[in-house]
Amino acid sequence: MSNKAKRLPRRQFLKSALSVAGAAAVAPTIIPSSALGLDGAVAPSERVIVGGIGIGNRGTYDLGCFLEQKDVQFVAVCDIKEARRTAVKKIADEKYGTQKCEMYRDFRELLDRKDIDAVLIATGPNWHATAAMNAAKAGKDMYCEKPCTKNIAQSLILADTMRRTGRVFQAGTQRRNLPHFAFACELARTGKLGKLKKVYAHPAGMQAMTSGWLIPEQEPNKEVVDWNMYLGPAAWRPFNAKLLDGFNFEKGGGLVGGGVLEWGSHCVDLCQWAVGDCPPPIEYNAPANGELMARYENGVELIYREKGWIPLGSCPVRFEGETGWVEAGDSGKLVLSSPELLAGRSVAEIGGYPATYHVRDFLDCVKTRSQPKGNADAACNAHIACHAANIALYLNRQVKYDLKKHEFINDEQANRLRSEALREPWRL
Amino acid sequence: MHLTRHFARSVVVLAAFLALTAASVRAAEGTSPSPEKERELIALLRSDAPAAEKALACKNLAVHGSDVAVPELAKLLVDERLASWARIPLEVIPGAAADEALRKALDSTQGILLVGVLNSIGVRRDAGAVDPLTSRLQDADAEVASAAAVALGQIGNVPASKSLRKALPVAPAKVRSAVAEGLVLCAERFFVEGNAAAAAEIYDEVRKADVPQQRILEATRGAILSRKDEGIALLTEQFKSPDKALFQIALTTAREFPGRKIDEALAAEVTKAAPERAALIIEAMADRKETVVLPAIVKAAGKGAKPVRIAAIGALGRVGDSSCLSSLLEIAMESDAEVGQTAKTALADLPGEGVDKEIVARLAKAEGKAYPMLIELVGQRRIEAISALLKAVEHSDKTVRSAALTSLGQTIPAKNLSVLIAQVVSPKHADDAPVAQLALKTACVRMPDREACATELASGIEKSPAATKTILLEILSDVGGAKALNTIGTAAKSNDDKLQDTGSRLLGKWSSVDAAPVLLDLAKTSASDKYHVRAIRGYISLVRRFKEIPEPERLEMCQNAMAAARHADDQKLVLGVLKLYPSIGTLKLAVTASKAPELKDEATQTTLAIAQKIGGKSDEVRELLSQAGLEKVKLEIVKAEYGSGATQKDVTEVLQKQAGDLQLISLPDGNYNASFGGDPTPNTPKQLKIKYKINGKAGEATFAENALIILPMPK
Repeated sequence: MSNKAKRLPRRQFLKSALSVAGAAAVAPTIIPSSALGLDGAVAPSERVIVGGIGIGNRGTYDLGCFLEQKDVQFVAVCDIKEARRTAVKKIADEKYGTQKCEMYRDFRELLDRKDIDAVLIATGPNWHATAAMNAAKAGKDMYCEKPCTKNIAQSLILADTMRRTGRVFQAGTQRRNLPHFAFACELARTGKLGKLKKVYAHPAGMQAMTSGWLIPEQEPNKEVVDWNMYLGPAAWRPFNAKLLDGFNFEKGGGLVGGGVLEWGSHCVDLCQWAVGDCPPPIEYNAPANGELMARYENGVELIYREKGWIPLGSCPVRFEGETGWVEAGDSGKLVLSSPELLAGRSVAEIGGYPATYHVRDFLDCVKTRSQPKGNADAACNAHIACHAANIALYLNRQVKYDLKKHEFINDEQANRLRSEALREPWRL
Repeated sequence: MHLTRHFARSVVVLAAFLALTAASVRAAEGTSPSPEKERELIALLRSDAPAAEKALACKNLAVHGSDVAVPELAKLLVDERLASWARIPLEVIPGAAADEALRKALDSTQGILLVGVLNSIGVRRDAGAVDPLTSRLQDADAEVASAAAVALGQIGNVPASKSLRKALPVAPAKVRSAVAEGLVLCAERFFVEGNAAAAAEIYDEVRKADVPQQRILEATRGAILSRKDEGIALLTEQFKSPDKALFQIALTTAREFPGRKIDEALAAEVTKAAPERAALIIEAMADRKETVVLPAIVKAAGKGAKPVRIAAIGALGRVGDSSCLSSLLEIAMESDAEVGQTAKTALADLPGEGVDKEIVARLAKAEGKAYPMLIELVGQRRIEAISALLKAVEHSDKTVRSAALTSLGQTIPAKNLSVLIAQVVSPKHADDAPVAQLALKTACVRMPDREACATELASGIEKSPAATKTILLEILSDVGGAKALNTIGTAAKSNDDKLQDTGSRLLGKWSSVDAAPVLLDLAKTSASDKYHVRAIRGYISLVRRFKEIPEPERLEMCQNAMAAARHADDQKLVLGVLKLYPSIGTLKLAVTASKAPELKDEATQTTLAIAQKIGGKSDEVRELLSQAGLEKVKLEIVKAEYGSGATQKDVTEVLQKQAGDLQLISLPDGNYNASFGGDPTPNTPKQLKIKYKINGKAGEATFAENALIILPMPK
């Protein structure tokens, strides 16, 4: 997180966001002053009791954002690695000055706890969808890191499950709660750029990937590293410490995956927002000259490209309409075709990836039961756009997607790549 | 050992296999599976190939497999290692053969493998499996019975639902949740397929069953939605439930409920519910933007319990329109600060085309507390009302003047900028100055033509008293651009110490490369050491930060900086830049720097680091290293451990991989934890201990976490 973002108080952030993006930017805060005690502490009835599942590097960052919130009580951590369980317990216990953070190796035991309202899921991508579905069925709301799903079928089931269970789901797509990205999307969505023609996403690694077995190594004691639980829904393979990098293990799943999904779940998600959170594109072409072009039903092109960006930091997006364009990135800066697009406003610069506001959005929705910015439907559409692009990459040819049937048109090869069996006993 | 070799071969073969597979898919014409590829993959499954290869063959059969492959895949369903791989194609190969194979496997598998088979049958929605699945509902293994129940739910036809309904009251507690889950899935399918009555019946059965609360919530939602408008009564009943979870599921369901009748019902509930619940119902109402009953929210905003009012006022900011303006303006002037501020925020956001017009109309007649508030709204909403604001700037009341200045900052166009500059240069009321300065800055940074803006500010500086010049220079630096740079550069070289101080400070933090010549000039010519240091560090900062500077230009800038810097500390900063951009050119500069005694150690480190990064193999590099008194060595890493106390991680392999023919070792990542695959002892200071040989001589060294690894020459 940039120092600037760290320093920016929430109220100021909200004001900044509103000043650039209008009412669309930020959800309400639901901690009325009446809920605060004289010392500013939140009354027990107003607290959200949170547990963490798979808290590694990114998860620790997310956890920090949760712990900043006065109405959060973090009570339990689950991790298949003993060292991480212990480290997270230490963070939580130090925060509260107690020894009460419970540790679990099996997340189902954590989900069985009736006192826990919500969970932070920050495992490797292999587990995200399966853990999220289990959490929903156990009656927990969840903040789930991205990429949230491994294939198209999982994306659809995720959205259906959250709807059916009535749970609040927030994907870790924190850029939806950053004002400059929100403003750029707002310009595109509201016609300020003229009729929208093209939206660009930076996939950061446009290649099909697959995963398999590595040389077997001595499996550790499961109390130290539970390899069986680590594999979870992924097809079986022998232990190898190199695979313990949850970030890269089974990222895309199946026969496809890789960079389009890893960063696309952010950049494509922003493009989806810019086009009005509509269903994903219906046509995906083979990559050419470092670009993969997809097309929405309304003709707008979604272009995944590695190069050609104005240097505005990681996760850049660009939206082009008939009369103007805007480009934004993680530096917190925007470049516009004309300053007039700012309509007399200046844009607050919040760089990096501060997730605090996204976490706050989630917690507010846990209380109101409203839909957060990175809700399951939005995540589903953005992830399908990534998975379908990956399938076009893997097959190295055009694929066409039927939005009603959620299948590729007359394309058996592509259709077979929409899903992948989960290892027993896991199911969605 | 044998096993390791066997798998090593597997991995090598696997890599080749993967490449082959991808190529074959790409080469395949059309969109159908390739029978030829399928034959190859089946042959592999039939062979004594290692399990790793068979696993990947299964994956590829997901694309190319057909009925022909099914028997071979089915054989693997009893294999603990490969069953999960075999089910990948078996779940997606179309046709009856895969269904039949999975059904048959119900008898040949047990325990966890049987659960996997049941899950796959569910995914395939094999209607022909209802009978065997029904019998599995009685299985003594709760995992098996649960998997069967969910699979029946996924199939979701009438026979499946009958089996599940029969099982619901009698299933063991451990299985009942899955039976209910299956039933909810069946009901959902019935509803989608148009049989709402059957769906409602099932939902009701689950609602009344002894099942976990989450299943009851799902069934309650379904029971409401499947009854359409008649479900509203059931929904509002949940609003009265003492159970918070049921109240919450009603809030969720209300948001997705179709039609307009629900909006009326929600409006009615607001008046009946306890305040904390009414507030949440209002949130739900506001999420239904298309059909929301606005008057009910306006009414709730006006009077009643504070939490309800706060929620309603906030909701108006999201879904209100010009009809809410009067009410919100009144509320904004209430004495309760929280209520008033919420209303002000809502007014700033209030949607509706007529709102701005109405605010301007009211501004013309406003007085008292309403006057500054309306002025603030003009600014917050970016309404064009310059003449009204200019009039307000002359007002006798400071509150009005402050509001007007702030709003001018937010809305003033370029052509009127001089008005704000005048307010800063010569304010009529001295205590307006801070607000005027902030307003001018707000206005300047959003001006479309920054050069024109800077020219106007520069002109203001000329006319300003000394104290104000500094303020305008600060604003000018926020504007940026050529004119601003030139003006600030001139100030830094003026005879006025205060202007020199301000100018050099602003230049030192300049964030575009065009400041480089100005900074270098100042660094060379400034008589003051303080200003020299600011300038040279600003210059070095530009070389370091801007990756897009072309290599020759960067080298020249580094040379310039090295020559102009008056202190070794600043020259060391240049060495840091060289290390960041390794090339033959930067290596040459580092070698040259190593000849200066005060830079020798740092420059030598830099030399090694650059050489390591660029490979260190060419004659030119070798020659340069020799010039720096550094020779290539034969380095052997004997053992390396990373950790603290008794917890040590063996990182020998990593270091052996990274070791080259220099005394320096560059890790894949500057962070040890990242390079060594994780933190062995979180939150504890760690050390890296290395035993090594250089040219055959044994040595040992210890490094603090993340330190640069330069191995001393053993004695």
